Amino acid sequence: MTLTPAQRLRVMQGAILFVVAVLGVRVAAMQWFDPVIPPDYGDGLAPRLLEVEPPRGLIVDRHGEVLARNTPEFRVHLIPGELPDAEDARRRALLRLEEVLGVPYAELEAAATSRLAVIDPYAPILVKDGLDQAEAIALRASAAGHPGVRVVASPSRVYADEASLAHILGYVGSIPEEEVEALIAQGYPLDGSIGLMGVEAAYEDALRGEPGRRLVLSDPQGREVEPLAELGARPGADLVLSLDLGLQRATAAALAEGMERGLSVVRHNTGQARPAPIPLGAAVLMDVHTGELLASVSLPSYDPNLFVDGDSEAIADIFTDRARPLIDRTYMEVRSPGSIYKPLVALAALEEGIATANTHIFSRGAITIPDQYNPGVVYVFRDWMAHGNLDMRGALARSSDEYFYHLVGGYQDFVGMGPDVLAAWSRKAGLGRPTGYDLPGEASGLVPDRRWKEAEFGEQWLLGDSYPYSIGQGYLTVTPLQMAVMTAAIANGGRLVEPRIVHGLREGGLVHALPPAITGRLEGSEAHYDVVREGMLAAAADGGTAATGRPAGQRIAGKTGTAEFGLPYPDGEFDTHGWYIGYAPYDEPEVAVVVFLEYGVGATHAGPVAREILEAYFAQRDAPDAPDASGSRVEARR
Amino acid sequence: MILAVARRAVPDVWLLLAVAGLVAAGTLMVRAATMETPGALSDEAWRQLFYAGVGLLVLLGASRLHAGVLRQLAPAIYVASLLSLVAVLALGSDEYGARRWIALGGGVTVQPSEFAKIAVVVAVAAYAAERDGGVKATLTALALVAVPTALVVVEPDLGTTLVLGVAAVVLVAAWGVSWRLLGGLGALVLSVLPIAFALAVPDYQRERLAVFLDPGRDPLGSGFTLRQVEIALGGGGLTGRGLDGATSALDGVATRASDFAFAQIGEQMGLLGALLVLALYAVIAWRGLEAAISAPDRFGRMVAAGLTSIIVLQACMHVGVNTRLFPATGIPLPFISTGGSALVGMCLSAGLIQAIAAQAPPKPRASWAAERWG
Repeated sequence: MTLTPAQRLRVMQGAILFVVAVLGVRVAAMQWFDPVIPPDYGDGLAPRLLEVEPPRGLIVDRHGEVLARNTPEFRVHLIPGELPDAEDARRRALLRLEEVLGVPYAELEAAATSRLAVIDPYAPILVKDGLDQAEAIALRASAAGHPGVRVVASPSRVYADEASLAHILGYVGSIPEEEVEALIAQGYPLDGSIGLMGVEAAYEDALRGEPGRRLVLSDPQGREVEPLAELGARPGADLVLSLDLGLQRATAAALAEGMERGLSVVRHNTGQARPAPIPLGAAVLMDVHTGELLASVSLPSYDPNLFVDGDSEAIADIFTDRARPLIDRTYMEVRSPGSIYKPLVALAALEEGIATANTHIFSRGAITIPDQYNPGVVYVFRDWMAHGNLDMRGALARSSDEYFYHLVGGYQDFVGMGPDVLAAWSRKAGLGRPTGYDLPGEASGLVPDRRWKEAEFGEQWLLGDSYPYSIGQGYLTVTPLQMAVMTAAIANGGRLVEPRIVHGLREGGLVHALPPAITGRLEGSEAHYDVVREGMLAAAADGGTAATGRPAGQRIAGKTGTAEFGLPYPDGEFDTHGWYIGYAPYDEPEVAVVVFLEYGVGATHAGPVAREILEAYFAQRDAPDAPDASGSRVEARR
Repeated sequence: MILAVARRAVPDVWLLLAVAGLVAAGTLMVRAATMETPGALSDEAWRQLFYAGVGLLVLLGASRLHAGVLRQLAPAIYVASLLSLVAVLALGSDEYGARRWIALGGGVTVQPSEFAKIAVVVAVAAYAAERDGGVKATLTALALVAVPTALVVVEPDLGTTLVLGVAAVVLVAAWGVSWRLLGGLGALVLSVLPIAFALAVPDYQRERLAVFLDPGRDPLGSGFTLRQVEIALGGGGLTGRGLDGATSALDGVATRASDFAFAQIGEQMGLLGALLVLALYAVIAWRGLEAAISAPDRFGRMVAAGLTSIIVLQACMHVGVNTRLFPATGIPLPFISTGGSALVGMCLSAGLIQAIAAQAPPKPRASWAAERWG
């Protein structure tokens, strides 16, 4: 059979019309003859899509200790759409509710006429919360006959009673006004809640899970008449933090004590008008191989439960507190490191061939530099004491400033490495950029060099800039967390670990550990690393400046730092930050510790804090029923 | 009066009225489906209205185009279309896991694959116009289809791929290729299909196919969506739930006004509205293929047949998805679904069919009427 093209098109025409007819029959069946539900549902009924929020994942420490859990909170909701329409009847209904609920009439009226109520009269509006179970049951009984009111149990978050966890855990709150649209597009309910800070925010997706959906038939009052379709929710995963709650508590206690003692550096009655000191502090204990934080404390802190409860006065206090407790000082704020920076300077000098382990320099207590234009003027760069003859290890052990002035700025015949070389090494050590920590808002710190100073101030780099730089002062700034990464790199042979507060996710009782990450390498020969380590070992041994950080019976590497800041006193002295870095045990390094005190001296105040943290670490590690650190003890506890 | 104006504006009034009816239904549907404040037009609805206007202007403009000019431009159109498809892969923005759109700035995005369909039809028709459908010529023509299809597969856009495949079959049939060759090609396609499925079909499509075959299996919620579609159609009943933006069983379905436009219309306008929409596609099929049959040359015949089948078969596939006869895949309903490129592209197709219809020799009755009353 042969057809002309025109005839073929006629056949095609017929075929298409046939297909359309078949589709028409199919549609008629689905809409009229054989629908899955009765057409038009019935009088006044309408489909309504409901989101089913899954239970939020718990937050636990590395041993499964619960740090954040869900608890039912009983609240009273008003459904404005169910109230009578007539103004009179409505007023009477609200007055009755005032009596039953004990909520002032004005508040009920405001809730019933709010913007949300206009958009969606059947959306529940919170009018009373914080009920205990007995109250809720009583109220449910007495409100039974009244339209427009519902007593519901909704999950609320409760945080472990340890204020130092606040920065890490963050909190859960109502959806922020400015993000409402974006979040609703992502399927959040208008009255839903979301993680707002800390891991609650950073791991929101994992904690929240996948909401389910229910399509129901509801009557004009918003009551569910018949379920139509359901899509199950996927519950949120539990978040297993790398923290050890016991170590966290010990660290917080030690740090608070250190801050108190460190305040003694502040001198009073100087006759000056000085701002009142605000004591701040930070301490971290980090696994040198994985970057996991076993403890991370920033003080002062706050109680995250306040945000969940919504106590507006207490929240206002937190926001206006001059110490800004919302800031996590372990990684959000930068300071001059002072002498804890010296191990890096030493490594750079060894690698660059500026000095060897046996380079001896005699410390007289100060070096003097004549002004390059006016020889009559002499600048003095002091050491904190006259140390005499020192080699590299000795200079680290005694924290000789003069030795490091030579290495960077040079002096007389001694050629220093200069600021640009030191800046390059600082960057290799991860300074001047975020460490990649898994909490938001990380500060970068500043690594200065010649070009930076010219761009920033339009001035040339001077020798007088290099000397403070060599001892971790001047323009250089770092976060405690960056110092922890640097210390871990010295311990582990140059790997820059990415700090982590989350060990893994737990789903169905199984923990999926997040793989550790390396963000860079601080390249150096093993021999040079050993010189730096031996210097830090000597520093933490008897006779070294960092001996105050060593727990009895342990060999550790340590280094103190004391950095001047603020207004000079009349005699030219300054207040100081106290720092301590170290790792332990010396021979088989496991953890790095960093302590920062806004007010304090490294050896006198920061060192003892580090010692207490390490003592707690060893006590916990060597305890007979020590939970192992692999996380396998983390079991399901809901 | 309107008919008289329309008669002067376009050669085929029935075709114009069918398109206008569908565009109007689409705009009403989008308005109701995206209504946030009662009575007001949402941004989406304004956009649909704007593109409806652009589309009708394009339709009227294209209907005045001379078929010979179109034929001469065919190679240039084809190359430009290929370049745009490459550009979308290189520069395009990802949405829903696919790369189909190019941002032009000012929030305007273009979906080149919507225009590629037209370019392929015009190019194959121009190529076939000069030769008979032997084995070699047929394979060359199919290669002309295959290159843009491959680019669309990569995006990935299974819906457009299917439409291009169907268009190829229709074009070859309208060409006059022998049945034996058609049969051979069909067998070849059938044998290659499983391999293509294994290699080119992305996982999410396979998952959708699995859900289609077994709605109880539902890892991503597409079975839930299919259930919503059934409920929407059932709830629409005979006369529909109205166009005033009432709650819909399709609430929460992101693509309710595009991939599920037909179900949305069925819910809003009922069985009567849904059947009217189907009838309008039947009108397009009838008038478009009439234009092909009465076209004076092979080029005109193939352009009209190819474009008509793209419009109508795409509509059939969409309705098939919405009535659970076809696996769920994102195929917009021509003239109705949201999406500016699709709407303007479809109007362009309708305009080109009009341009072919204009070439048809005048019918005796028409000339008699002109003599008698003109």
